[in-house]
Amino acid sequence: MRGATILKANEDKTRQLNKHTLMAYVGEAGDTIQFAEYIQANIQLYSMRNSTDLTPSETSSFVRTELARSLRSRSPYTVNLLLGGFDPRTSKPELYWIDYLASCAPVPYAAHGYAQYYCLSILDKHHHPDISLEQGMKILRMCTDELKRRLPIDFKGVVVKVVDGEGIREVEYEDGGQVLAP
Amino acid sequence: MVGKDCVAIACDLRLGLQALTVSNNFPKIFSYGSQVHLGLTGLATDVSSVSELFRYKVNMYRLREERDISPQTFANLVSSSLYERRFGPWFVSPVVAGINQTDGKPFICGFDSIGCIDFAKDFIVSGTASDQLFGTCEGLWEPNLGPEDLFETISQALLNAVDRDALSGWGAHVYIIEKDKVTKRLLKGRQD
Amino acid sequence: MSRRYDSRTTIFSPEGRLYQVEYALEAISHAGTALGILATDGIVLAAERKVTSKLLEQDTSAEKLYILNDNMICAVAGMTADANILINYARTQAQRYLLTYNNDIPCEQLVRRLCDLKQGYTQHGGLRPFGVSFIYAGFDNQRQFQLYQSNPSGNYGGWKATSVGANNASAQSLLKQDYNEECSLKEACELAVKVLSKTMDSTKLSSEKIEFATVGRTKSGTVYHHLWAAEEIDALLKEHGLAKKDSEGVEESWKPGESV
Repeated sequence: MRGATILKANEDKTRQLNKHTLMAYVGEAGDTIQFAEYIQANIQLYSMRNSTDLTPSETSSFVRTELARSLRSRSPYTVNLLLGGFDPRTSKPELYWIDYLASCAPVPYAAHGYAQYYCLSILDKHHHPDISLEQGMKILRMCTDELKRRLPIDFKGVVVKVVDGEGIREVEYEDGGQVLAP
Repeated sequence: MVGKDCVAIACDLRLGLQALTVSNNFPKIFSYGSQVHLGLTGLATDVSSVSELFRYKVNMYRLREERDISPQTFANLVSSSLYERRFGPWFVSPVVAGINQTDGKPFICGFDSIGCIDFAKDFIVSGTASDQLFGTCEGLWEPNLGPEDLFETISQALLNAVDRDALSGWGAHVYIIEKDKVTKRLLKGRQD
Repeated sequence: MSRRYDSRTTIFSPEGRLYQVEYALEAISHAGTALGILATDGIVLAAERKVTSKLLEQDTSAEKLYILNDNMICAVAGMTADANILINYARTQAQRYLLTYNNDIPCEQLVRRLCDLKQGYTQHGGLRPFGVSFIYAGFDNQRQFQLYQSNPSGNYGGWKATSVGANNASAQSLLKQDYNEECSLKEACELAVKVLSKTMDSTKLSSEKIEFATVGRTKSGTVYHHLWAAEEIDALLKEHGLAKKDSEGVEESWKPGESV
């Protein structure tokens, strides 16, 4: 269903950069895809040239540098990013929060946009270091339920992708049906 | 903060967007060589950019000169690099602290965002809690503190100032710099 | 015959050769020897420093061994002035990579960037190629300790032990004979001084005539590189009985009819 606030309900706002790194983006309509694909192409070019992949932390620095350069150019990209990756050398998952000003921070959990006002408090309460994927999915369900309940625009659900040692895969995320006020 | 044959530099760990806290592990002190430390407050993106830029410049200096940079030289490098951007500045207000290896004397100074140096014999403050820090430092600092006393003084000054500021806090890093060693301590601080 | 084809770097001779590149290689084969040996726990680089006159002020810093970044060093054979340009370029490139990716540049990438620059001078007209060969020693997480060599043509390759400069053919065959893949850094240092003592003109070595550097890892696993001080080199030479005795001056060991 389309309307004044919704043009498409199932847009995948992620790009796979290399085998172990995934980038999610939100922001100005034209900028997002343009910037994400520019980054994607450059990360893939690096992999081809050097026959090795950049680690998630190296990728985050590269993205930040590009965004910082753009920030002080004549037409900056207005894109907020989340970068999730699995470092095969250390066997550790990493998450980076990057905003359109090119502030970058490694974080245990993160959100962008209006949703973060609802989600961060839930994540703050329920997230612990070293939680399993299953527990993580439970917290994610709590977040999406909260968004259904409280987001001023109609919440159309999420695309869920998991990044781990095996690579990146999309997982089925069922719409939990109607959510009632607690 | 200056002590007797030692200096201390400390920062909080918060990264935020106005009132929203994004991360509580964002250090703002960077070391260049064994003794020279730079604290950066201001716009987070520029904190990262500027710290990386000085890493580049100081590494090139070290390779070319085959020695570490002195705090005085570094302060002038900071000043001229910031003034290069006079009409489109980096939004940071840096603080330099270090010990000069030739004469063993402590050195501290601060800057505005376009590189005007503010030399001081006692302490330098910067950031959103600078008003509060002026108060706590004026009250607690005294001349010729030893390394341990200086650590206590700077920690109390910082913690009590950030507790009076909504936009600072969430843990702290404290460096005590002596002629032949640097001690880094982590303060947990209030997490609310 | 060759006159027609050697004035420009960009022109092949009928036999398919680039004379200017070969002349550059020739220039290098007169320079002081430099060698590198890969060990299991590190790398050693050693170089012969030519003392042209005793009136010349002895440079306190190394003139044949340079630090490129926190985990890479290199040895130079050839024209020092050309080398300075390339070393400055390499250092800048290494720092630029650090600026973009917040991580040290992988060794091979730095070697490749430098070789791309060198290659440019064999193809674009009007300029002469750089008259320098390098031996690089470095460490990165992906491929651990690595030793590379490059020459004026822009070719490079990875080696276990290699040498450039004067007498490099004999140094190379000595290395081939005595190199042992399982050697430790200490054994590699021993091999390095032995090879140098045989390939250098003077029979007795001293810290004035050679330079030494090692790359290794500390017990905690951090990479270090170390340009050796004169005393350390003398101690090593003494240990292997190659040091010059105090009474033997350069003048005394000179015999009539022998060129110095």
